[in-house]
Amino acid sequence: MKKLLAGAAIALMTMSGVASADGHANYPERPVMMMVSYGAGGATDFQARIVTMTAGNEDALGMPIAIINKPGAGGRVGWNWFATQADNDGYTLSAYNVPHFIAQSIKGGVEYSAASFEPIANWGADPAVFVVGADSDFNSMADVVAFAKENPGKLTFSGAGLFVGHHIAALQIEKAAGVKMAYIPTKGGGAAAMKAVIAGDVLGGVNNLSDAFRAAASGSVKILGVADLERNEFLPDVPTMMEQGLDVDNSSVNFRGVMVPAGTPQGIIDKLAAKVPEMFANSRVAGKMKAGGSPMHIMTRDEVKAMWAAREETLKELLAGL
Amino acid sequence: MNKLTHVFSSGAIASVGLIVAYISFTQQPSEAFLFPRLISTVFVILALWTFGKAVLGRSRTGDGVSKEALLRMAPGLIVTIIYVFWAAKAVGFYTASTVAFFILLTLYDPAPHDQAKSWIKRAIITAGFLAVMYCLFALLLKVYTPREIFF
Amino acid sequence: MEFIYYFGEVFTPISFGLLLIGTIGGLILGATPGLSPTMAVALLIPFTFHLEAAQGLILLGAAYTSTVAGGAVSAILLKIPGAPANIATTLDGHTMAQKGRGAEALQLSFLASLVGGVFGVFLLIFLSPLLSKAALAFGPSELFWIAILGVTIIGSLDSNSVVKGLLSGCIGMWLATIGFDDIMGAQRFIFHSSLGGGINIIAALIGLFAIPQVISMFAKGRVEVDAEVIQIEKHSIFDAIRELTRRTRALSIGTAVGSIIGLIPGVGGQIAGLVAYDQSKKFSKESHKFGTGHSEGIIAAESANNAMVGPSLVPLLTLSIPGSPTAAVLLGGLLIHGIFPGSDLFDNNPDVAWTFIDSMLIGQILMCIFGLYIASFAARVSRVPQSVMAAVVLGLALFGSYSVQHSIGDVYVMATLGIGMYFLERFGFSAAPLVLGLILGPIAEANFIQGSMIANATDGRLAYFFTGNLNLLLVAIVILSIGYSAWMEISSRSDTKNEGTTS
Repeated sequence: MKKLLAGAAIALMTMSGVASADGHANYPERPVMMMVSYGAGGATDFQARIVTMTAGNEDALGMPIAIINKPGAGGRVGWNWFATQADNDGYTLSAYNVPHFIAQSIKGGVEYSAASFEPIANWGADPAVFVVGADSDFNSMADVVAFAKENPGKLTFSGAGLFVGHHIAALQIEKAAGVKMAYIPTKGGGAAAMKAVIAGDVLGGVNNLSDAFRAAASGSVKILGVADLERNEFLPDVPTMMEQGLDVDNSSVNFRGVMVPAGTPQGIIDKLAAKVPEMFANSRVAGKMKAGGSPMHIMTRDEVKAMWAAREETLKELLAGL
Repeated sequence: MNKLTHVFSSGAIASVGLIVAYISFTQQPSEAFLFPRLISTVFVILALWTFGKAVLGRSRTGDGVSKEALLRMAPGLIVTIIYVFWAAKAVGFYTASTVAFFILLTLYDPAPHDQAKSWIKRAIITAGFLAVMYCLFALLLKVYTPREIFF
Repeated sequence: MEFIYYFGEVFTPISFGLLLIGTIGGLILGATPGLSPTMAVALLIPFTFHLEAAQGLILLGAAYTSTVAGGAVSAILLKIPGAPANIATTLDGHTMAQKGRGAEALQLSFLASLVGGVFGVFLLIFLSPLLSKAALAFGPSELFWIAILGVTIIGSLDSNSVVKGLLSGCIGMWLATIGFDDIMGAQRFIFHSSLGGGINIIAALIGLFAIPQVISMFAKGRVEVDAEVIQIEKHSIFDAIRELTRRTRALSIGTAVGSIIGLIPGVGGQIAGLVAYDQSKKFSKESHKFGTGHSEGIIAAESANNAMVGPSLVPLLTLSIPGSPTAAVLLGGLLIHGIFPGSDLFDNNPDVAWTFIDSMLIGQILMCIFGLYIASFAARVSRVPQSVMAAVVLGLALFGSYSVQHSIGDVYVMATLGIGMYFLERFGFSAAPLVLGLILGPIAEANFIQGSMIANATDGRLAYFFTGNLNLLLVAIVILSIGYSAWMEISSRSDTKNEGTTS
């Protein structure tokens, strides 16, 4: 009973507090929720749990962030919910994945666009890589392209879904090499796509660098190329697509970060935009991310805004023909 | 009576099946509706079979719903519907649960309504249940439920 | 035999303390409606940030084992399956509890869980390298046939009429297509904004099983207390052990089915319990007793869903592929500590890997001890008056379905399905085949579409789905299973005709 009364008292105090604090100086006054539009255990979920683990510290938000998973249809389910049903009071955050949600909004059939969300900060950048089974005959992207040229439409390769980073990379590779291949979207994210490669269900696959790095370390796959502008620190020996003569830029790099729904009070956005990048920069966070093989890339709100706008342009061009 | 309810229920299912089939076969893109088309076809065949059996009076399973049972469950069902579909969100989970719990006990608890003792007992059971729910969901699992009024 | 050397690690004070916390916490979390083992393990991940790698995994391993078993508690006492794994347990378990044999049901379920669980972990210890090859043999075509095999058991599962069973399964498969299609991203059957995310399986489970039961309690009206008192039978643990040893057929079918299904990536433990239940019903001499509170039903279901725990980790620990959602969360728990599972895990980090596996063995035993201890208290739940029980189950259903995804839409879906299911049940339909359809529909669809895409690019659909030994074997089992159901239907029909009991 005592707990109930205490709970009631706290709730009343919270309500009056929200009403009086215009400058949002006291934000946040209760735990904050962060929606991840992929399943528990996926790369985005795993990284989101690590980068928010210090949220409760006094020098960060001072309140813990709880992760809520709303998986489905390559992220569409979660972001649709976030754009249309989430409260814009600053207590509901979401993880974003670029280029996924931008590509989906260009393609249509969803209720969000880049304008539905306000970026806060970026925590990671996970390039797409091309993987083949450990015993595959392919040893470079040139081998892959040569096979695809001889057998148009017969080179099967897996990825996490349609209009996600993997699919963008696949489209870019096909376009750059001028070949037709068979992209097989899997249900169940990058893990399922990786399983298809290791088991030999498909001849190759596009996957996250972080997951491929692990699979390569355990000897199950070979990584043939990185779809980024530069080689990655985790894989210094793997050449980029450009080095192998394929004109593939960093459009498919999976940027992960935090956003809020449009309409969230500016005071709260400013406060989050100041605190969250600092929270990501915490040394314990960096240590855990590195241990898990997840590349970090911290960007502030303004940098993310510019990145979103640039991505929107390139994706519109790339997807125009589809 | 029994035959009529069977005809009515299987008819309702068959019409749901027909609507599903209609949507599946008219919506685009057709690749995405391939599987629903397959299912809805089997759905409609089985539902019409069941409907036919019910019309012939040969439904062998299920006891149907009697009028008396419907009357007895009606108040509880109405409280449930108001509680789940409206009150939980509008007045907050804990407030709505307290009220709904107490009303349901009052409606279905056989203890007499004219004794103070049985009312106190109901209040204690309600408070106890809510305390357990609060400890489990709010304190242990940190689930933030809607709390419009009070907590 | 290397694992024996690491038992010492498990019995250090801190590790053993964590093992106790994980087991007891897991039982509580598992018994809470709405918390599947996956969510429970995900909730515990933040605690492992502060622990050493081996200790963190002890906590997670113990929690995984005991949440799976803990789900049986709410399944038996409240008829709310905590996770898809426990659906089959409700069928006989709750009936037993209603008859006052709740203690016996709980004891049997924990003992069967122990046997299945220990067997599963031993498979993980001794046969991992071999099993990992087997796990990879299941590609899209094989998974499609597995799903179809699951569909064929729908008709014979907990239903008096094969047609109505199949129809329930069809309704379930249709419900599963609601929402965004996973591969194309097209919107299907979204009549209301709550359905945008599709039908969440846990919320649906709570609604389909718990709500009809609440309504049937309402339908009884204000029953006088004296008329409804259930005699709670005391049941000694030794009797339960004796019962278990008598039911070796159900126990071995459950353990074998659970181990095999647990191994298959992507199918996971969701259907292990139901398939084991169905198989042991088919092989049992007392198959007519299934569904009326028969011990074989509980034993098969619970041994299967714990036997799947060990093998479900094989693809993760040997190939770094998480074969089930829970394994994916455990992968996160390993990665935070910089441990990459894979074929060399046992060479590079033997202390972590073996301590983790050993903790699952000890965890099984602790889980069984605590489970048996609470069984006798917990069984008293069925003495709670109907009115209180109805209100409690309704409240738990509301909070449980909300807590899955913090979504009020899931609550609406839960209640709508539940109220609909009550009326369907009154007309001879049942929830178990419907749920099986709900689980299998997406597996069948995704693998069919994916397989077709691969087939179109290579050698055609017919060749893709009908060649390969494993495909042919699965097709043969599917045909056998359909034949068996048809034969049973015909023979049971002639029985009823002979007795002249058609109504």
